[in-house]
Amino acid sequence: MAAFSNVSSDLIWEITRNNNSFLTKSKQNGGAQFSRDPLNLLNKNSRKQAGFVNDKAVGIVRNEKGFTVITKKASAPTKPKESFLKSEHSGAKSSRKAYKAIANQTAKNGYRADLRETAVQRVSAIRRSQLPVKPEPEQKLRGNKAKKAAASS
Amino acid sequence: MVSAKKHVPIVKKHRKSFNRHQSDRFKCVDSSWRKPKGIDNRVRRRFRGTMTMPKIGFRSNKKTRFLTPSGHKSFLVSNTKDVELLLMHNRTFAAEIAHNVSSRKRIDIIARAKQLGVKVTNAKAKVTTEV
Repeated sequence: MAAFSNVSSDLIWEITRNNNSFLTKSKQNGGAQFSRDPLNLLNKNSRKQAGFVNDKAVGIVRNEKGFTVITKKASAPTKPKESFLKSEHSGAKSSRKAYKAIANQTAKNGYRADLRETAVQRVSAIRRSQLPVKPEPEQKLRGNKAKKAAASS
Repeated sequence: MVSAKKHVPIVKKHRKSFNRHQSDRFKCVDSSWRKPKGIDNRVRRRFRGTMTMPKIGFRSNKKTRFLTPSGHKSFLVSNTKDVELLLMHNRTFAAEIAHNVSSRKRIDIIARAKQLGVKVTNAKAKVTTEV
């Protein structure tokens, strides 16, 4: 957050890490915490992944067929319209090309090279989710139901 | 649906539930565990043949604690947006649809979870009809 010259992103993180609008906390099963931040690649509440805290962040959001990559411009943090760069990727490209594109976008020019792998993983997960869903195999009847079906046919 | 990550075998050190002492004798004594406090109590004094009391040693391995037999942890979900949180965690977390979600919305949630490869622990509840 370059705009607030006296507020570092570390400070923002320390203030908001336990309570922010993106955070979902669950009290069940040992307590899982997830983040709804669109600029968060793993939906994890962590310093590295938190997009609203870091000056530079990468987000990948699924849309109809492809996905949109959102990056943050470090130079204009107080102008929301200018500070988020969006680039659409259609699903038409092959997976390898999509990975290559996203790897270049995150890691080239020294923009968050640490997020390259997770970015590619997320693209992969999104692309897999866009494949047609296999229909479930019909369940075989067992026991009395099977006997009845056999008798009636 | 993706299977869960490999994990240490789950060991439950005590399978039976701990029932309150003498809850089997009296209707008015509920089975919820209460530690016996009496001065002469044989269970408290850990006599031979008496019931075992819960203690910290029965706790599960930290690595397998809260895991379902499938190896997932469950995460309570009430809409499709919640399911989407689990996109990158479908090998460690399974979605569990909250009890107050209608059957119409359950269908949406289950369809979405299937696309994302997220396991739903109670996928059959309120959706399947009896034949």
